Amino acid sequence: MTDTHVSRVRMTGISKRYGALQSLDNVSLDLKPGEVLGLVGDNGAGKSTISKVLSGAVIPDAGTIEIDGKHVAFTSPADARAARIEMVYQDLALCDTIDVAGNLFLGREPKRRVAGVPMLDKKLMHERARDMLSNLGIVIPDTRMKVENLSGGQRQSIAIGRAASFNPSVLIMDEPTAALAVAEVEAVLELIRTVSQRGVSVILITHRLQDLFLVCDRIQVMYEGRNVAERRIEDTNIEDVVNLIVGRKFAARSAGHNREKGASA
Amino acid sequence: MSSEPNAYASHPPRMREATILDKVVANGGVMSIALFFIVCCLFFSVTTDAFLTAPNLLNVIRQSAPLLIVAAAMTFVITTGGIDLSVGSVLALTATLSAAALQAGVPWPLAILLMLLLGGVIGVIQGYFIAYERIPAFIVTLAGLSVIRGFALLITGGYSIPIEPTSPFVALGRAWILGIPAPALIAIVILAVAYIAFNETHFGRYVTGVGANAEATRRAGVNTRSVILWVYVLSGTAAAAAGVILSARLGSGSSNAGQGFELDVIAAVVLGGTSLFGGRGSLTGTILGALTVAVLANGLILSHLSPFFTPIVTGFIILVAIWLNFRLFRGGAKGR
Ligand SMILES: Nc1ncnc2c1ncn2[C@@H]1O[C@H](COP(=O)(O)OP(=O)(O)OP(=O)(O)O)[C@@H](O)[C@H]1O
Ligand SMILES: [Mg+2]
Repeated sequence: MTDTHVSRVRMTGISKRYGALQSLDNVSLDLKPGEVLGLVGDNGAGKSTISKVLSGAVIPDAGTIEIDGKHVAFTSPADARAARIEMVYQDLALCDTIDVAGNLFLGREPKRRVAGVPMLDKKLMHERARDMLSNLGIVIPDTRMKVENLSGGQRQSIAIGRAASFNPSVLIMDEPTAALAVAEVEAVLELIRTVSQRGVSVILITHRLQDLFLVCDRIQVMYEGRNVAERRIEDTNIEDVVNLIVGRKFAARSAGHNREKGASA
Repeated sequence: MSSEPNAYASHPPRMREATILDKVVANGGVMSIALFFIVCCLFFSVTTDAFLTAPNLLNVIRQSAPLLIVAAAMTFVITTGGIDLSVGSVLALTATLSAAALQAGVPWPLAILLMLLLGGVIGVIQGYFIAYERIPAFIVTLAGLSVIRGFALLITGGYSIPIEPTSPFVALGRAWILGIPAPALIAIVILAVAYIAFNETHFGRYVTGVGANAEATRRAGVNTRSVILWVYVLSGTAAAAAGVILSARLGSGSSNAGQGFELDVIAAVVLGGTSLFGGRGSLTGTILGALTVAVLANGLILSHLSPFFTPIVTGFIILVAIWLNFRLFRGGAKGR
């Protein structure tokens, strides 16, 4: 069904400079339909910036993006949304004073016409918001609650629900599990598995390296704004990834029991 | 340890049905101003004979129409996290220009239309600098306040321009329709439209979104710059409408009209519980806030107190109402 010869996303030579800081330097990223890519790197490596370029939130200084083989130039997040690219932002990008349903539908609220005038269809919004959340197993007592009154994990779930519920073809998740409890993390990983089986391409950014090995097909490592390595998941292990992230051999304690093996490798 | 199984199973539900008290606390901003409004009305009803009479109350509404209209638009502006300090100057400019236009023989419907258009264009210019050039709204509209008032003074040379009392134009400010003053009717229609736009339309939702988290709203695919531009077009147009109504009621256009009007408008909006930080706005609150400001001015005059008491009392009430908001009501609604 899915044509694996054409990449869903092909980003080449993306560069972005913020003042004196070269945030992205000639970064490339390739993503096949239904593939799950783990994007890792140190703090400040440029993971969020490259994914914002793909979601239209950041306009790159140079580089090209192709979606399903067609060249695109996103001038705003609306363009990326139209290309069915959805993103869970690291800062969640929620409006605190708007209710749960309003945040889920922000920017694409259902309309109803009253005497020809388009208005928010709040009733439909709340109904569909309840369905969306329960489909994803997210427990929010009331879709009329303002987002500011939710817990950190609940807020994160809303951001994930929003990105996953509008039939994306590319789903970018920037540290989606940072605030989540055990069961919720499992649910997000399960969500990634099910959507990728449906042919959705996923980019997962996370510092929980063990999660990468549960869902990813491939891992791409960034360091100081550049691509430094790429591994198929079956060809690597946690220590290898840790060393690639920090850029030197590093017997990290977080790499777990394989410390001796890592040091000798 | 032995209690563990029970700990999951039997506990009362965490969400109880919202009680009336919950709703009162959740709408704290509106509630505290409603309280103030009622207290003011009661106070002046008891202390003066003239306050609680139909002619006086209708007069209050008639006189507060410009304030109500501009405060409705200002609610949008402040909810985006912005401010428009130029509304008093726009009111003065359109009041003088409408008088001048009528004197020059321009038909009155065209004069009204031109004034509204002028207000809109001023809004576009200020909105462009705020939304697209990213200059803080305070600075842009402070400059606007000065420049626009300057034009009004320049055009009139500081004098006021009379309007022919026989012109149908003055009906806008003086006519009574079905026992209600025309300015009040206009204000009611505008307030109803503003209420619906604010609470029930996409535009109103994005106004709140821009104020709550502009970047998040932009990332959701909303053209936030055009939303910001449009709120200043609204406030400019509303100020022009207020200028037209004022000159019609007074029968002349004065370049000194509306000195300090922007402060009354902002006071009314803030009294109504709209946050100057953006993201939280209430049109119901704004209406109550504007009426409270109007009732205070009227009641203090009827009490035979010096009219100079009005700003003093208004100022105190703003402080106390906002303080109540923070202490009494917000404390329950928000955990911060
Ligand atoms: N809007 C901006 N203005 C200035 N500098 C920026 C901006 N956005 C990102 N940067 C810089 O670009 C670099 C990469 O940032 P980015 O957010 O992409 O890192 P990251 O890999 O996501 O890190 P983390 O793991 O901490 O989330 C950082 O050094 C950051 O300071
Ligand atoms: Mg990041």
